[in-house]
Amino acid sequence: MNCLEFRRQLNIDPHVDGDFAQHRVACARCADAHARACGFERTLRHALDVAVPANLAESILLAQATREQRDRRPLRRRATWIAAAAMAVLAVGVGTKLQSKPLPDIAVSHLKKEAFVLGKTHPIGDDEIRNAFATFGIALNDVPAGSSFVACCPVGKFVSVHLVVPENEGPVTVLYVIDDRHEQRQDFIKDGWFGRSIPLAHGTLVLLGHDAAHFDQLENVWSASLRSATFKA
Amino acid sequence: MTTGRSSFPATGRQRQFDALVRSLSGDLFRYAYWLSSDEALAHDLVQETFLRAWRALDSLREATSAKAWLITILRREHARLYERKIPQFADIDDVDVPEERDAHMPEFAGEEGLIRSAMLKLDPKYREPLLMQVLGGFSCDEIARELNITPAAVMTQVFRARQKLKAILAGDKPFGARVELS
Repeated sequence: MNCLEFRRQLNIDPHVDGDFAQHRVACARCADAHARACGFERTLRHALDVAVPANLAESILLAQATREQRDRRPLRRRATWIAAAAMAVLAVGVGTKLQSKPLPDIAVSHLKKEAFVLGKTHPIGDDEIRNAFATFGIALNDVPAGSSFVACCPVGKFVSVHLVVPENEGPVTVLYVIDDRHEQRQDFIKDGWFGRSIPLAHGTLVLLGHDAAHFDQLENVWSASLRSATFKA
Repeated sequence: MTTGRSSFPATGRQRQFDALVRSLSGDLFRYAYWLSSDEALAHDLVQETFLRAWRALDSLREATSAKAWLITILRREHARLYERKIPQFADIDDVDVPEERDAHMPEFAGEEGLIRSAMLKLDPKYREPLLMQVLGGFSCDEIARELNITPAAVMTQVFRARQKLKAILAGDKPFGARVELS
């Protein structure tokens, strides 16, 4: 290999062996060029190492588990009861640690952990929402339209139904926290999120978003839906 | 490795998938990011890639070829995205011009920032084989198979990619600074 071929190979792949390595040992000028090329390659590699979103692997595994569960619908009824029981155990187990935190703090903390669902925009079916509420013995008669995500999630020491409603001004998170009925309806701002908590039936409805423009409308439709729902003991 | 679906115990299959996600999702995200130039899109692409991989997991015969297999799925998913993409029109005043945007973002500051900006300016024809080589650790022959071109074409493209990158970097350096080119 001559110097010209060596310099060409430097721009193709500076990490090869064979003739390339032999020429490097024999030619001091090409060895210098190789050292500079390796420095550039290191900088290039570091530059390409962009930060990976936190919890990327967990969000993928959650999406896979959710889809898998949806694909196994015949087994769903038994699985949801197991999930509900597991969440109840989890809620009791970790509840004492989280008990003292106010609901806005817990709701925003939960939202941050599951921020990846805010990007979902594809509408989901009414049945998925009915099934999520049914997990906790709540039979919805009317399902408000427009949700793109639903899941049953532990929130503090309680369990909740977690929904996302995409709006033009940005997604709004709707959390119905079961068996945690607050005395007063209140608006709040927490960590840059606008929030509203509304005591409703046996729980509290929490709305969170970067824009509160749709809070009134969402409060109305979800209040109507939950007031007409049947709550099993 | 057993390849028949029915011969995989469900938990074994899930464990295999978990290991793939935990070990390769970061690399795949970086690849998707440079392919799409968009963080949110990269996240969606990686998620969709793994969901497809889960369904086709039994076709993965060797664990050592998992990365190449996943990159193949990701590239197809990326191509599919553009097949169904509907052009979005926006007022010219509302357009976030990448160069102006990049100048104010910390990830585009410093020497590595200059390289990141330069990478985004590279034609995808040159950017992709370079990504596969530097990020993926693939040889020219492996890249050639994946991109369905000849190894000689890959060599030409990575050679030109590095030259263009260095030329862009030399042009972007502030006056008085010098970039050492090999």
